[in-house]
This record gives sequence, C-alpha cells and structure tokens, in this order.
Amino acid sequence: MLKVRNRPAILGNRLLDLLTIFVVAAFLFPYLFMVTSSFKTRLETFAYPPVWLFTPTLEHYHNIFDDMNILFYMKNSTIIAVCSTLLTILIAIPATYSFARYRFRYKEGIAYGFLFLQMVPGISIVFALFFIARALDLFDTHLFLIVVYLLWNVPYAIWMMRGFVEGIPVELEESAMVDGASRFKAFRLITLPLMAGGVAATAILIFIGVWNEFSLSFFLTSTEARTMPTTIAFFMTHSGIKWGPMFATATIGTLPVVVFALLVRRYFISALTFGAVKG
Amino acid sequence: MTHNARSQRRRPAWLAPALLILPAFAVVFSIAAYSAISLFQLSTVDLTFGEPFRLAEGVGLENYQWLLTNEHSTFGATLRVTIHYLLGTLIPELLIGFAIALLLNRKMRGNSLFTAVLIIPVVLMPSMVGLIGRLYFSYDGLINFFFETFTGIRHNWYGKDLALWAVILVDIWEWTPFFILILLAGLQTLPVEPFEAARVDGASRWQSFAHLTLPMMLPLILTTLILRFMDVLRLFDVIFVMFSGGPGTTTTTLPLYVYRTTLVQRDVGRGSAASVMLIIIIVALTVILIKMRERIKFEA
Repeated sequence: MLKVRNRPAILGNRLLDLLTIFVVAAFLFPYLFMVTSSFKTRLETFAYPPVWLFTPTLEHYHNIFDDMNILFYMKNSTIIAVCSTLLTILIAIPATYSFARYRFRYKEGIAYGFLFLQMVPGISIVFALFFIARALDLFDTHLFLIVVYLLWNVPYAIWMMRGFVEGIPVELEESAMVDGASRFKAFRLITLPLMAGGVAATAILIFIGVWNEFSLSFFLTSTEARTMPTTIAFFMTHSGIKWGPMFATATIGTLPVVVFALLVRRYFISALTFGAVKG
Repeated sequence: MTHNARSQRRRPAWLAPALLILPAFAVVFSIAAYSAISLFQLSTVDLTFGEPFRLAEGVGLENYQWLLTNEHSTFGATLRVTIHYLLGTLIPELLIGFAIALLLNRKMRGNSLFTAVLIIPVVLMPSMVGLIGRLYFSYDGLINFFFETFTGIRHNWYGKDLALWAVILVDIWEWTPFFILILLAGLQTLPVEPFEAARVDGASRWQSFAHLTLPMMLPLILTTLILRFMDVLRLFDVIFVMFSGGPGTTTTTLPLYVYRTTLVQRDVGRGSAASVMLIIIIVALTVILIKMRERIKFEA
C-alpha cells in the first residue's frame, strides 16, 4: 500500500526537481549567453540562428583595453564607489547607533524621513543637480558624484545597519560600562567588532549600487569623471551598435559585482529589503 | 554616582543621540533641500536647456497647469504607460516568483547554488542589461529564435505594439529573482507546527496552502510588492538604453517623460514640473501602501 502510494510521489518529486533546475537555468541563461558572446567574432554575435559552438577569440577584450581605454572608466568607477561607500559608512555608523540604542522623541519620524529621501528618483533631481554642479563649477568631477550619492547611500546604510546593531544584546555594552568603560569605549570594544560583518556587507552592497548607477553619472559627467555604466554610449555609433566590445565591457563590468554579491550572499535578503526581512 | 547624576543634569538626554545623528542629518538633508529648492525653482520658469539660467523667465505654476490640462501634453498618456508597465511587471513577477519560491522550498540538493545563481540578474549593471536586451529582442535576436522554435513566428519587438512588452520582459527576467529570494527566505522561516496539525486533520496540500501559507506570507508579499513598486516607478536606465521612450511614446514612463521633456524637447520648466509630480506620486503612493499594509497586518 505504502509503496503504491509513494511511487508516483517520488516520480512527482523528481519531475519537480527537474523543473526547478530548468527554471533556474533559464534565469542564468541570458547572462551566460552575454559572457560567451564576448568571445565570439563580430559575425557570430549577429548569426541567426545563434551560434552555440565557436572558437573563442579575445579580439574584443584587446579592443576595449587598448583602443577604448576601459581601464580609465573602471578607475573612475572605483574611485567614486570606494570614496562614496567609505564616507557613507563613516557618517552612518554614529547615526545608526543613535537610532538603535537611544530613545528620543521623533525617532521613528526622523528614521522615516531618511527613508523617504531615499525614495526620490535620481532622474527627477538630476537636472537640478546639473544646474547646481555648473554653478559650483563641480560638473564632471569625482567629488560631486561622491557627495551626491550620499543622499541615497546614507539612509540606506542607516536602515540596513540598524537591524544589525539592534540584534546585538545591549547587555554586553552595559556590563562593560559597569566595569568602568565609557559609552564610546564600550561601543568600540564590544559592539563595533560584533557588527563588523554587517557593516562590511552594507559597504559591499552600497559599492555595488554606486558601481551600477547610471542616470546621475550619465548626466553629471562628460569626459573626466565618466563611469563604467555610462560607457554604453560609446557602443551606440551611427554605423550600428558595436556588440562585441559591448559584451566584453559588460562581462568585465559585471564581474566584480557578481563576485561581491556572492560573497555577501548571507546578507542579501536583508540588503534587498532595507533590513526589513532577515534572510 | 553623584558625578553621574550631576553630568546628567548638565547634559540633556537628547543631546548625545542628536549629536550622533547630526552628521548624517546635515549631509542628507542639505543635499536634499538644495536640490529640492533648485528643482522647484526650475519648475516655475520658462527656460530652454542649454541657455544660461539668467535668461529664465518666471511663469509661476503655469508649467504644472500645462502638463495637467493642455491638449498637447502627453502627461496623461505617460501615466497610462506607467500604469501598464507597473502592472505588467509586478503581477507576473509576484506570481512567477512565488511559484518558484514554493518550488525551491523543498529539500533538494543544490538549493544554495540555485539561490546564488538567482542573485546574478538582480546585481547586473542595468545599463548593460538594457543594451543586451536591445540585441536579444532584435528581429534576428535570441528571443525571436526561441519564439520561432516554439511558435513558428518571429515578432517585431522594436515596433509600437511590442516595445513596452520587451521592456517588461527584461524587467521580469531581472527582478523575478528578487521575489523568489525574499519569499523563499520567508517560506523557510514559517513555523512547522500548524502545517503538521493540518496534515493530521487531513487537510489537502491545496487547503494548507490557501489557509496557512498564503495568510502567513501576506505581510511579506506586501512588503516585497511595495519595495518593487517604488523601484519600478523610478526605473530609468533599462528603458532609456533599450528604446529611450520610443517608438513614439510607447515606452515613455514617468522617468522617461522627465528626461524627454528636459533634454529632448529642451523644456527645463515643464521637465522639472514633471519631476516634482513624479516625486509626489512616488512618496504619496508609497505612504498609502505602507498604511494599507499595516492595516492588513493588524487584521491578520
């Protein structure tokens, strides 16, 4: 009796396993096709039906490193992303501590104030920022983008890290303070090391966000401070789109982000939800 | 002890938390205030993009009035496209995402590999995704290859009828994993006991899904929808790179409308007025949604 009932169940489970694998593979496929296309020749990228087997070529990589100087844009992206991330963390940690550990009037109101500012679409203020940048003579500089990104990054970091701090028992700090440590010393010696993992994850996710950001960087830079995502404009020429170099750039540009994201996988769910949901 | 009491009398309790928040508050709110004031100022002038600001002519709230009431304004059409885009992305993403989350929420090998793979679309550079989408949806592209293989027909995704759907499909590929990952995390933290009790009582799989899983997951589903709603409403890069709002106005959602009015029609005033309305719409609708979610949470 049991056997008879179970056989279709096991078969059903196997089918569901196969379906799962198929579905996940389907989500991966466009990315894999992009990566493999960067090793195809020009004609092969256009081929219809698509070419599945081919001899890989590095010509597009030579092209973007030697002729397009892609390293320059990667350098800009790195400078802006690293500086904005570090500044964000530096500014956000004291605020996070305040929200997590103190009780004061209008606390949640101020916290939501930060969240609402985070919601403002970049495209809606980018042209106002354009006029501001021109007036301050900061158009097309790293500095302006680094500062402007703080508007989105600081609220994000506060909301992300608040959950991590609130997850650390306050008693640990209190017992250190009973032993004579100042509040700051208790924070530095006890809470800060415990929240380090969360801070690192937040930093990486902010880095990814800035690294990928397009609309502000596209309209607030021209030649000097241009970042990786905005190089897409170089591939859209009058004679059509240069697909090979585009695929190579996309592969190079997304590689650090994919690696980073997989590193902080554990924190990814709270990252996607501003810490509202724990993974 | 006396020392503590004295120092507390000298320093009010709110001082320490206020000082700690001050740097973040000062930076964020000064950038926001500066941009908000400039944006509002720009929305009340008549200025061609590229001209120096001193040539701007004050027109009061005429730009807003024009956008909302003028017969040549395409603001209404933009709202329709935006709503179409919102529903076209959020509904399938939620349904497919929830289904796949249920599928992944079974004991099987390789689950952690699967969730790792699903992170990839979410973190890819959107501008590159847009450009790749443009190639995949071209007449000789990957998407048509699959359509021809399975249905025998190739479609013109660049045309007026399908361009918005092409953009929607790209978003579904990019962001369904967002629903999968969050809802899967939620499913894995559901308590086991109610399900066991239901099974003992002879409830079918469907019954325990409809009466247990769904109601328990509802708050999380709403949270996820709200987060995505905000993001879809402000999405610019993918659509800009794929079709920059065209052909015609078929993929002009609100953010694209802001761009086209300001930079293509070079009308800074009307573009800024549209920006202000975009901000108001996002904040207002999100506040309403958060309030709705709170009410449902209390009823459940």
